[in-house]
Amino acid sequence: MAGRTCPVRDLFFILFLLGMFALGLKRPFILVLVYSYIDIVSPQRLSYYLLNSVPISLLAFGGALGGWLLMDDKADCRFSRRQGIMVLLLLYCGYTTRYADFPIEAATKWDWVWKALLFAIFLPLTLRTKLRIEALALVMILCAGTIIVTGGIKTALGGGGYGELNLMVDNNSGLYEGSIISTVAIAIIPLILYFAHHGTIFPPDRRVKLFAWAFCFACLLIPIGTEARTGLVCALILAGMMWWHTKRRMLYAGLGMLALLVAIPFLPSSFTERMDTISEYQADESASTRIQVWKWTLDYVRHNPLGGGFDNYLANSFTYQTVQKTQTADSVRVERITVTDRGRAFHSSYFEMLGEQGIPGLLLWLALNVGTLVQSGRLYRRYRHVADPRYRWVAPFALALAQGHVIYLVGSLFVGIAYQPFIFMLIALQIGATTYLRRRRREEEWRPIVPGEPARAAR
Amino acid sequence: MIDTFSLLLMHGLIFLACWRLLGRDDLDREESGPATNILGRPRARDGGQDMPGA
Repeated sequence: MAGRTCPVRDLFFILFLLGMFALGLKRPFILVLVYSYIDIVSPQRLSYYLLNSVPISLLAFGGALGGWLLMDDKADCRFSRRQGIMVLLLLYCGYTTRYADFPIEAATKWDWVWKALLFAIFLPLTLRTKLRIEALALVMILCAGTIIVTGGIKTALGGGGYGELNLMVDNNSGLYEGSIISTVAIAIIPLILYFAHHGTIFPPDRRVKLFAWAFCFACLLIPIGTEARTGLVCALILAGMMWWHTKRRMLYAGLGMLALLVAIPFLPSSFTERMDTISEYQADESASTRIQVWKWTLDYVRHNPLGGGFDNYLANSFTYQTVQKTQTADSVRVERITVTDRGRAFHSSYFEMLGEQGIPGLLLWLALNVGTLVQSGRLYRRYRHVADPRYRWVAPFALALAQGHVIYLVGSLFVGIAYQPFIFMLIALQIGATTYLRRRRREEEWRPIVPGEPARAAR
Repeated sequence: MIDTFSLLLMHGLIFLACWRLLGRDDLDREESGPATNILGRPRARDGGQDMPGA
């Protein structure tokens, strides 16, 4: 929660949620969007007292599930293999929580992880039409935008700094954590650009395009504002992927270099100094600690291949030396400093999964993520040259999802976001798109045996 | 100030997006080929809206 009391903001959130629930009464699918909104933005953390006393998350999930059970057509529902993997992962996480090394901490994390997984398992069942897929993607990026636009404007006005950029809430969890929002901000850029060209809820006119570009700019400012090095790595990889898919590669390479040269003098010096440390990991406590934690995790899993349950990193403790260089008038003094660390977080989704859920958990998580990436690639290739205007959206959408997912998997190397609800929602979105398109292909491949009598066959 | 601007802008857009969904019939049902049953065969749409005079 932010420091000041502001009942007007509480009132605003209540009116907004009441409005959204009212829309959901007319179209139950909107309740699914409401739950996604609550999960991403966490309005109860932005408000001061009123929303904290009402279980809005539970209400929205109950509404979304009830709306689907009572009102929605379920004949087209298909349960995909990846949803099955998520069910297994959920059960397995439940098992490791029961036998966790730190039962109280594990129970706290389990409390939000099972909700994120359950919602991601449920979500694809509701994504039965192209418009629903589009609506979810749009609401997701707008929700992330609530944090990103704030951070972007503050960075542009010079309010950034490592661990200093104020993203509306003081506590550093969910999407409000610097490295996580940096990775997510870069990962959604391809989706924002997709909406600048192919959206139907906000058809792409000049205003939509202008907003989309400004939004992308805000996303790029987030790694600068939070000074999260992961964000810079992600941004460079995204630039490379997008460049690969442009037609005039030489022109864009030149423009990109020019933009970079123009931008560097405008970057805050603290940012360039921090980015300089990427190659000097020995001098950086944060990077040294990571490598120590990763070694500890490998050793832990060697003895406990089934994992230690959520937050088992709390068991780690190590003493190590970092190298510190001090510039004096005529020389550089190199000092070795002994540091003892306890309970350092994994700082990598891969090691987070490996340490907490062991080898079975890591394999399930990898199968889920690699499967999602492969399926996005398949959709892109299948629909890349399609002439039917009804399916022209598929290839750019699949490409945007794939690029976003690659960014997530790269960011995951350095940030512990293995169970991030936003990412599970992106996976659910991809599953929804895959099952929807598979169903459409089946419908169109089906032809009645007796020619000229489709009506009878349909009866 | 910035927080308020950002909250108003993005929440306004989220609400507007959902508002626009109300007027879209293709949110819940698409006019495509015939809906299929579990064997992949077309099934009649409930209510018979697609078949005037039926």
